[in-house]
Amino acid sequence: MEFRRISDVVWELAASGGMTVPGRIFASEAIMESVRLEHASTQVANVAHLPGIVKASFAMPDIHWGYGFPIGGVAATAVDEGGVVSPGGVGYDICCGVRLLASKFNEADFERHRDSVMGNLDHAIPRGLGRGGIAEASLIPEVLLRGAAAALDAGYGWEDDLEKCEENGTSAGANPSVISDRAVTRGQSQLGSLGAGNHFLEIQVVDEIHDAEAASVFGLAEGMVVVMLHCGSRGLGHQTCTDQLQTTGAAMHRYGITVPDRQLACVPVSSPEGREYLGAMAAAANFAWANRHILAHAARGAFADAFGVSPKKTGMRLIFDVAHNLAKIETHEVAGKLVELCVHRKGATRAFGPGHPDLPEDLIPVGQPVLVPGSMGTASWVLRGVSDNPAFASAAHGAGRLMSRKKAKQKESGGQVRDQLEAKGISVRPGSVRLLSEEAPYAYKDVDEVAEVCARAGLAAKVARLRPVGVVKG
Amino acid sequence: MAYRVLSHTADTGIEATADSLTGLIGELCAGMFGLVASVVPSAARKWVEVSLEAPSVEELVVDTLSELLYHAEVENLTFCAFRVSMGPDDLAVKVQAGGLSVDAVEPVGPPIKAVTYHDLVVEQRDGVWYGRVYFDV
Repeated sequence: MEFRRISDVVWELAASGGMTVPGRIFASEAIMESVRLEHASTQVANVAHLPGIVKASFAMPDIHWGYGFPIGGVAATAVDEGGVVSPGGVGYDICCGVRLLASKFNEADFERHRDSVMGNLDHAIPRGLGRGGIAEASLIPEVLLRGAAAALDAGYGWEDDLEKCEENGTSAGANPSVISDRAVTRGQSQLGSLGAGNHFLEIQVVDEIHDAEAASVFGLAEGMVVVMLHCGSRGLGHQTCTDQLQTTGAAMHRYGITVPDRQLACVPVSSPEGREYLGAMAAAANFAWANRHILAHAARGAFADAFGVSPKKTGMRLIFDVAHNLAKIETHEVAGKLVELCVHRKGATRAFGPGHPDLPEDLIPVGQPVLVPGSMGTASWVLRGVSDNPAFASAAHGAGRLMSRKKAKQKESGGQVRDQLEAKGISVRPGSVRLLSEEAPYAYKDVDEVAEVCARAGLAAKVARLRPVGVVKG
Repeated sequence: MAYRVLSHTADTGIEATADSLTGLIGELCAGMFGLVASVVPSAARKWVEVSLEAPSVEELVVDTLSELLYHAEVENLTFCAFRVSMGPDDLAVKVQAGGLSVDAVEPVGPPIKAVTYHDLVVEQRDGVWYGRVYFDV
């Protein structure tokens, strides 16, 4: 399968066979080298088979092999032209995303309180196998309907948090009645928990500012300590996707749809099954918005206790919260016309540019913050949305894995990885030391290169680079 | 063990072979939970029984593994022992899964979020049952 370089950082596979649009990957030569070693490019081609897909099957610079869609995959289907929605195009961790908090502290402040901050976070952030959540299960029905707003009403977080969340922390169109009892049961002890795998809470320092105006609007300053957390909808979302894949897999044949990978099962957006999926997805997304909101509340409390101040005095206001596993109904220009699309982002971040009406007023001049976490031990980036994004206002969602978990474990032990991070001045509080090596920095692509490709491809612009000083790992 | 762990850039897969579909499902169950915790069958303290039917053997395997994953998560267990029996036409299965609290084990891998259909294979090859399943972790 040969992707041809058509510009500096754009590679294209012409449509052939059942593909109705081309495949297009945003990547440097080095990133393409890693793509050629696995199956992600085939998955880009498979997605190009989806009924109603327009423009291209895109992949962001953090592309890697996923299941069904590649991770980093973006596909938009035309709702009024039989376009489909695919639960596999969102994935099991519905509305998995990233939240970034500012603080009034600098690195020297953190150094003075490092041990107590890390100890408090270690205690306050539930994570790993079988660990319960912070919030009561009784909150779940309201959370499924109203997301972070329900958590706010229950006493978690701050009033002004919601305006700095994508969708204000509440996915519209949620239909909790189609969330199964099994999904609710899986989620009932997990509201306010991090999970495991690549999920984390990280304390970072703003290391470099690349766009002073946007950084100022976002509230970022060089040397500032910030807190980034990455997690999603936990077992409730996983079960919802499992349930919906059964429904769509059984239904798609009735619509005469065939796909090259069963994981791409899909139904027309406008079908009863399509509407049911979007209602279920939005409800599960609301669990995820609330989950990050509650964990951020716990992080503020941990800092406040360590510094001996009230949570408000920590200055830990929300910079932004973005999702990277969602399908959304959005209007974009296709062939000179505004078209209603179902935009799937599977491991890709929405990246609205300046002037977009869905942004909070203060962000309109500069565009939406795009949060791109790297691996622990390297760096993370804050980008911003730009005008004329070529992939339905989408950008990368992380560094993107380079190495399998199996190989990563063989290379070094978890203890070695922890010792190396500690030697670099990064405090580590893992859910399991043994599992640290699966998430070692060497298992991921160079996040600086991913950010650079985003900028060169016109997907997003660089605002600030963040350097880790502490990590609480799931 | 008769299952093998497959490399995947982000997630994890297993493949297994067995003389019968009964044996294959048992191996895939052992493989899925073996990715998370290494526990000998004799450590099982609590047993759960699941019965499923499906329109194909592929669906039966995914549904069975998903069902056990559900029970493991909501009952805070990891399973380590499996007794499998098949119904008519190889399209129905009963699995008795024995396990113990996850709090009693040291994980060897991250929890599994879900069983995927990606690159799924369940078939007979030269009289031997072969299965391949990838998991979202």
